[in-house]
Amino acid sequence: MEPVSSEFLRGTLKTIVLKLLSEQDKMYGYQITQAVKERTKGELTLTFGALYPVLHKLEQEGLLITESVEVEGRLRKYYSLTDSGNEVALQKISEFERFVDYMQQLFQTPPSIAYGH
Amino acid sequence: MEKLTPQQIDRLYTYLLQSGLTGELFTELLDHLVCEVEHYMWIGLPFEAAMHKTLMEANADSVQKLRKIYQRELTLADDQLAEASLDDILFQFRNKSYGAYAMRQSYNRTLVYALFGALGLGLMMIAFLHLISQKTWSYWSPWGMIWIAGVAAVSVAVVLYFLKQERWQTVPDGEEEL
Repeated sequence: MEPVSSEFLRGTLKTIVLKLLSEQDKMYGYQITQAVKERTKGELTLTFGALYPVLHKLEQEGLLITESVEVEGRLRKYYSLTDSGNEVALQKISEFERFVDYMQQLFQTPPSIAYGH
Repeated sequence: MEKLTPQQIDRLYTYLLQSGLTGELFTELLDHLVCEVEHYMWIGLPFEAAMHKTLMEANADSVQKLRKIYQRELTLADDQLAEASLDDILFQFRNKSYGAYAMRQSYNRTLVYALFGALGLGLMMIAFLHLISQKTWSYWSPWGMIWIAGVAAVSVAVVLYFLKQERWQTVPDGEEEL
């Protein structure tokens, strides 16, 4: 992972996880990292070291519930959004979209603009 | 998709065990690593190489780091910590419904009931010995009063103990009450 993207990624991890979970019924940890990798064509990679603390934090805040399912003899922990998780997901996503808008406006400001006096 | 054999999974298991992980995080990471190795094998790597690649990314450092983050981030928030008892902290990631938590929670109360019961029994014993030595008995004497007080203390303690005991069973499992 590029150090630059990791810096930006850190602040948006929660939103990414909530967004992915809002589109799927339930996901497990590895599936989330794979989804991020696939959608960004390998440009962004979530390490498990970054992902699991976020998942557990969200679970602790009551936004996610977990369900352990036995798969091929081992336990797999699936995460899904609770009702309040759904609300927060919608709110975070729209908040982030607005943020991206503002960033674009900020970066598109022509350099000729006069600042102050 | 390639599937790992139990022996191969066992090697990942041993690896995680050696890195000092326990509990919930352990099973979750094991599943994660197995998935990753299987993915690498599916795109064509032999097991050894796939495992090597996975463990490179999941080197002991990052597992340790994860464990630390986990402990720091997921401990009780400050305001919760202010109200939490030693038992809450001790049982934060442990099974509360098993019974030990409830027993610890009610220990002080139980101790008070036991003291009351013992005191009451003592009073009854004193009055009884007095009866034996004097061979006369009246409820309207100081010794009669002592007897009545003893019986009352014992019965209050026993009744309260059983009333509270019923409530033990409803101690909720999990984090909801934190």
